Amino acid sequence: MAFLEVSCLKKIYTTRFGGSQVQALSNVCFSAEQGEYVAIMGESGSGKTTLLNILAALDKPTSGRVILDGMDLGQIKDKEITMFRREYLGFVFQDFNLLDTFNLRDNIFLPLVLGRKSVQEMTDSLKPIAQKLGIQDILNKYPYEVSGGQKQRAAVARALITNPKLILADEPTGALDSKAANDLLALLGEINRDGQTILMVTHSARAASRAGRVLFIKDGEVYHQIYRGNSTNEQMYQKISDTLTLLATGGDVR
Amino acid sequence: MKHGFYTKLAFTNIWKNRRTYVPYILTCILTVMMYYMVKSLSVNPGLRDMYGGSSVAVTLNLGTYVIALFAFIFLFYTNSFLMKRRKKEFGMFNILGMEKEHLARMILTETILVTVLSIGLGLGLGILFDKVMFLLMCKIVGAKISLGFFVSGSVILSAVRLFCVIYLIIYLKAVYTVQISRPVELLRGSSTGEREPKTKGLMALLGTILLGTGYGLAITIKNPIASIGVFFVAVILVIIGTYLLFTAGSIVILKALRRSRRFYYQPRHFISVSGMLYRMKQNAVGLANICILSTMVLVMLSSTTSLMFGMEDMLKIRYPNDFAVHSREPDTSGQNDKIFQKIEEFCEAESIPVENKVRYASLVFVAEEKGDWFETNGKEINVNGNTSGLRALFFIPLSDYNTASEEKKMLAGNEALIFSDYEAYEKPALGIFDREYQITGHLEEFFGNGASDTNIVTSYYIVVTDEEFGKLKEIGEKELGEMGTAQTYYGFDTSASGKKQELLERQILDIIVEVGAEYEGNYNGFMESRIGNRRDFMGIYGGLFFLGLFLGTLFIMATVLIIYYKQISEGYEDRERFEIMQKVGMTQDEVKGTIRSQVLTVFFLPIAVAGIHIMAAFPLIRLLLAVIGMVNVKLYLICTLVAFLVFAILYVIIYSLTARTYYKIVRR
Repeated sequence: MAFLEVSCLKKIYTTRFGGSQVQALSNVCFSAEQGEYVAIMGESGSGKTTLLNILAALDKPTSGRVILDGMDLGQIKDKEITMFRREYLGFVFQDFNLLDTFNLRDNIFLPLVLGRKSVQEMTDSLKPIAQKLGIQDILNKYPYEVSGGQKQRAAVARALITNPKLILADEPTGALDSKAANDLLALLGEINRDGQTILMVTHSARAASRAGRVLFIKDGEVYHQIYRGNSTNEQMYQKISDTLTLLATGGDVR
Repeated sequence: MKHGFYTKLAFTNIWKNRRTYVPYILTCILTVMMYYMVKSLSVNPGLRDMYGGSSVAVTLNLGTYVIALFAFIFLFYTNSFLMKRRKKEFGMFNILGMEKEHLARMILTETILVTVLSIGLGLGLGILFDKVMFLLMCKIVGAKISLGFFVSGSVILSAVRLFCVIYLIIYLKAVYTVQISRPVELLRGSSTGEREPKTKGLMALLGTILLGTGYGLAITIKNPIASIGVFFVAVILVIIGTYLLFTAGSIVILKALRRSRRFYYQPRHFISVSGMLYRMKQNAVGLANICILSTMVLVMLSSTTSLMFGMEDMLKIRYPNDFAVHSREPDTSGQNDKIFQKIEEFCEAESIPVENKVRYASLVFVAEEKGDWFETNGKEINVNGNTSGLRALFFIPLSDYNTASEEKKMLAGNEALIFSDYEAYEKPALGIFDREYQITGHLEEFFGNGASDTNIVTSYYIVVTDEEFGKLKEIGEKELGEMGTAQTYYGFDTSASGKKQELLERQILDIIVEVGAEYEGNYNGFMESRIGNRRDFMGIYGGLFFLGLFLGTLFIMATVLIIYYKQISEGYEDRERFEIMQKVGMTQDEVKGTIRSQVLTVFFLPIAVAGIHIMAAFPLIRLLLAVIGMVNVKLYLICTLVAFLVFAILYVIIYSLTARTYYKIVRR
């Protein structure tokens, strides 16, 4: 079985008074191997966010299953779900989601503190990560004192520090300028080469072109996917752009 | 724009913001109501007819100024909070095409709406409850209840005028805020970035020193005269100290906690400590306000209630007999005998029982204690200076003592018995003028003559032989003139009804005048009755008690609202924070626990500190009360405890309500 197995996900939202129903995901199936770097693309309303929420165990599918490293997300008890998220998943958000009451170090420590790790353990695991992300000099600064790129790097450090099985990134470059975005993407690529599985939801073809595989979602289904194979980032970018053009014009790539 | 547009908009705006507006409008209504009631009571004609009513009226009138000032500060504060919350809304309107003048007009309509609503309802309720209040006060003060419904046009007018001015100022402030800001700023409004507070070690240290000094003064003070001055100094020191400690001290402590890694990096502490650091920056002043308000409420309530309930004790101490006649020599050819005889004859005729009759002569010398020698300093005693060495010496002849206390003490030569009310006299001998006495016994108690108990200096009651008394009398008259003449105390109790006592009261006054006239008005004496003074005491202490309750309620209301608004505004700010925490792996339960501990700290820190303040102030206030004759420490202690308990219960109720609203906001 694959490392991440997503089979036949269906999600139907019912409006508050039980009136109309909205189908956010109709049938999403895909799998990913350990160490893969998968980007998920799609237009607004295509069901990207719903998919991500289900993968993050924040939401439950109407039907279908998600299995991560042999664990069925649907079987985890409500009480343990938070712990599961904390231990096995790392999150990177578009708007960083750093707490302004903590300096960067404490922001990164947050999941470990919640997991009741010792101070020694925390400092030990922070050191290599901070070094790799180049934030060792700004650990004592507060979020409002550093740039967007630095904030996002701190957020990546927070996602990495628990040594998660899977990193879920939701538009990680969305709030960054192009320079900072490129730096961050390079960093994510590097982390992936170290063996970290990453799943990234994005709008940006530039961001997606760094991934090993790109899934396109349309109307709640996986519509198409592109494998990198041996192509360079530029070639990958071209392929993605072509697909997006096709998607937009309504052509059929299959 | 269409007619009625602004009115409609104002209504919807208030409705949309009801979570913050409803408490605000309620506060407004209550404040108007309070103001109207106190003001109306102070001019109530029924009050003027009441015995002791004038002192109540004065106290109440003073209270209206306090309430007016308080209403202004408080409504202004609450409104600026509301406006801060609504900045974003204004920005939105502005961007959607409303010009600033339109905004101003919208705010004006809203303000008018609130004004009309609060003044209308406030006055309505005020008039309704005014009678209830008046009846309650009559009950407390113990006056007869007059019928009729009293509505004063001038009071209504003054309330309308006051609150219109307050709302006008509030409106101008709001318009000014909107006027000077740009739309982008308005949009960002309530969510401007927060910086970590700076450590102000020096201020924290200063706060500690001031608070310590204030406490020290309050605890160590022994001298009742100095206590009034000390009280104000201590209050000011403690207030400043409280502000400093809440603002600077809290941050110093929190930062120290954060430095302790083992403590800090635990889930509960981690979030609380960092959260509190930010919270204290915005809230320190608010919390200090709450703390000081609570302390004020508690001091006021405990002292006024203990005065009210201790009044009978105070009366008994100040007026040991139901009726008493004090007179001073020269008692030209037995006026006293004549007067006392006439009183007793009258009692007999009216069948008023005369019990516990006492009559004794005494000599009073105020002197400075110098070892076992007392220096009378001629006629001048400097009371402005240090009074710690000053003593009042009461000399009583043995025969009078024995008759009055129904004892059979024996004394010979220069032997003397002594009783002391504050500081015991431990020396074996006592000297005054050229006389010297051997102390052969200490008395367990002494029938005070009331007047001497109001002395703030220590009094010694010394029983000497009749012969020695006569010698002292001669010397006293020679050395001190009129100040040194002997006095006569005549007093008795009676179990007669109040009506009979009032009759007797008037009769004694008549007798004194009548007998005095026989001797060309030369009678140097006066009458005191417990029944007459009870009415005065009731007027003063009942009025104070009533005002204490009233202002206490007002302050409690203020405290409640400050807390409520604090929690709500924080709720909105914390919402985002807790969302993030949940995203990065905090369970609902952990969020709930953290919220609880933060809210608890913010809530109970001020009241805990207020409790400490009260404890420190206890000895000082006890002394102050003793100055006005309230010496029942146990009663005061009970009153303090009850006041604190009632306050704490109210506080817990507010807490649970607020915490629920807060949690609702945060959880969304």
